Amino acid sequence: MRPRHQVWLLFLLGSLLGRGSNAATIEGEVELPRSRPPAGIVAKRYEIVNQNGVLSTEPPLGVVYLDGSFPKPNSLPTKQIAQKDLRFMPSLLPVQVGTRVEFPNLDDVYHNIFSYSPAKRFDLGRYRSDERPIPSQVFEVPGLVTLRCEIHAHMRGLILVLSTPYFVVTQPNGRFRLDDLPEGRYTLKAWIDSKTTREKAVELRNGGTLHVDFL
Amino acid sequence: MRLPILAKEPHAAGFQLRLLAAILLVILALTTLAFYFAQWKITAQAEKGFQRNFQAALSTLHQLQELRHATLTERCRLLAEKPRIHAALEDNALDLLYPSARDELHDLMVGDDRAYNQSSLSAKFYRFLGPNGSVLHPNRDDEVGDLDPAIEAQLSLSSLPQIPQVGYIEYTDKSTQNLAEVIAVPIFSTETGDPISALVVGFKPTDLVRATPDSGITSGLWVNNRLYGGLQHDVPRIVAENIAKAVADGGTDQNNLKVSAKGVSYLVFYKRLNPRSAFPAGYEICLYSLTGAKVQVNRLRWQIGTTSFFLFLGGLVASHFVSSQFSAPVEKLALDSERNREQRRRAEDALISTSEQLKRSTRYSADASHQLKSPVTILRSGIEALLERDKFQPEVYEELSALLHQTRRLTGVIDDLLLLSRMDAGHLIISRESINLSRVIDQWLDDLNALPDSAEIKIEKAYPSELWIRGEERYTSLIVQNLLENARKYNRPAGEILVRARTHDHSIIVTIGNTGSSIPQDAQPHIFKRFHYSSSTSGHGLGLNVARDLTRLHGGDIHLVRSSDDWTEFELRFPTAS
Repeated sequence: MRPRHQVWLLFLLGSLLGRGSNAATIEGEVELPRSRPPAGIVAKRYEIVNQNGVLSTEPPLGVVYLDGSFPKPNSLPTKQIAQKDLRFMPSLLPVQVGTRVEFPNLDDVYHNIFSYSPAKRFDLGRYRSDERPIPSQVFEVPGLVTLRCEIHAHMRGLILVLSTPYFVVTQPNGRFRLDDLPEGRYTLKAWIDSKTTREKAVELRNGGTLHVDFL
Repeated sequence: MRLPILAKEPHAAGFQLRLLAAILLVILALTTLAFYFAQWKITAQAEKGFQRNFQAALSTLHQLQELRHATLTERCRLLAEKPRIHAALEDNALDLLYPSARDELHDLMVGDDRAYNQSSLSAKFYRFLGPNGSVLHPNRDDEVGDLDPAIEAQLSLSSLPQIPQVGYIEYTDKSTQNLAEVIAVPIFSTETGDPISALVVGFKPTDLVRATPDSGITSGLWVNNRLYGGLQHDVPRIVAENIAKAVADGGTDQNNLKVSAKGVSYLVFYKRLNPRSAFPAGYEICLYSLTGAKVQVNRLRWQIGTTSFFLFLGGLVASHFVSSQFSAPVEKLALDSERNREQRRRAEDALISTSEQLKRSTRYSADASHQLKSPVTILRSGIEALLERDKFQPEVYEELSALLHQTRRLTGVIDDLLLLSRMDAGHLIISRESINLSRVIDQWLDDLNALPDSAEIKIEKAYPSELWIRGEERYTSLIVQNLLENARKYNRPAGEILVRARTHDHSIIVTIGNTGSSIPQDAQPHIFKRFHYSSSTSGHGLGLNVARDLTRLHGGDIHLVRSSDDWTEFELRFPTAS
């Protein structure tokens, strides 16, 4: 079965299951900046690029999240940003406040991940792929954290620390879908790059699907 | 000296002396000139050589200096590119800037050993500049190198530089006043590409004197009107003042000058070490003392002087030899000349004597002619008076007529002689009047026809009615008369006289031809000579001579065209009147 058919099947299954619950759904599209792929690159990999001081992914991706105050869960799943081929993978990772992020080194060379960002300052020191336990950090303060490698000056990664558990990374075409949202009045935000976050007020009703575009 | 010649011929000896003096003067002048030019050329070349050596040494030093600057700048640039420093500046973590730099610049500041700390590659201090170009103050414990706040302020720039800058500032290190060479490298944002900061690192300047102990060059740095480095103790005050003036007035980044102080000359070279820098100007000053060079040049001058002196001595000997050689033929020439002069004097005396004799002879012939003329005239008058009487026998009349003819002939000879003597004495002046030669010829032909024995001679004429010449008519008439009378006199019975005339090339050519016996071939070259007689002629030998001399006085000439085969022809040539 081809991947596209699998997606549709899951979507149909989700719709049937969700119809009986009280959850709300938002779907829509975020207008992302036009991609500027470097010439000659065949493999589509995501990396953080600077354009006049603005950090974003290339090709562009956004993060859509439901802003508001939500109870903090007792435990959160650990996430990972690996260093592979002298790049952070994924290059953009949204996490909920309190999430532990591991930084496994999948390259054969040393890396030294550090951040001087106000949201999180840390320095993991130099380590190789066999470093155990895998160096990790817990992100307690909401905000954007820029990851750098002390050895490889070109490497950049972004962690978007959010207070909400409801967030999703858009597809490359800008489309997104947020499921299992609680009903109520909220602000829906779309992070596009380090300097651009758009927002819209939304009112969610149980079982309803809201269509919101950030165009 | 050759005294015998001197005694014999004072002029020749004087020549030898003058020649010797002239050669000596020339040699002296040439030696002096050669000495002057040689020492001038060698001094100039030596100075050029010193300059060249100086420049070559300087060039090496500057290459070292530039290499050092390039190395230090590159090192600073690499340090400024460190991700932690960028992260501190770009991620708004300035509190981590100096702590991060402390780790990164530790090697530059401290190094591994003591020798490094003393070297000019070891940094003495460093600071970061903020976005507005002013110094970002570090915390005390950041190990960035102590600086007085006033000195630290000197590191600030009006704005962040786009390219690395080199500057020189004074600072106090362990209570010692020192000069620091600072290198400021810009730090560009990896996000925007704009300069967001600059790293300013202070080093100890290179000591070029120590670097080149054998080159004869002393050097130092000139910053804020003060000299730093090893140079400051060696340089006399006046040299320093000259440098200050040159640096202030020059307006150029580098220049050469020559300065003298206390009897010592210096070649000075200065070069701005930080052209177009935002920091105040710093000059490298290099001094080359010309004392050693001067000693060398003086030694060369002495050598040239000695050589010139020996050359002059050699010239003296050579000149004496040359003057002796040259004077020998001249002496001979002088002797010969003296003999020639004597001969010439004798020849001139002989000429004067001959001329006197000629004059006397001319005067004598004139006087004789005059003395003869009167008795001959009386004689002729007497014979004519006797012929008028009728009481004599016819034989007597015949004798008297013969006598009268001879006296007339004698009168003609005397007239010709008088005329010739006047011509010889140069007393005959020909007037220049216009004469129609055709008319003169016509008149004389008419007279010829009138003569009793001319009836049987045929006279033909072929010439235009007017042929104008310049001269005196009685003499031209005499010329024509002489030629026509000869033509008649030496004609044969039933003979012919042909007179033709034409104008040709500014000349009038008259030809007078007659039949009759020819002039013998051997006599032809002599017919115009005075008193020339030939066996066939009956004249007195003066007519043709008079005619030719008179024609020449008119600017013309006579010559015999031919005399053979019953035909004798003379050609008379006059210049035309125009």
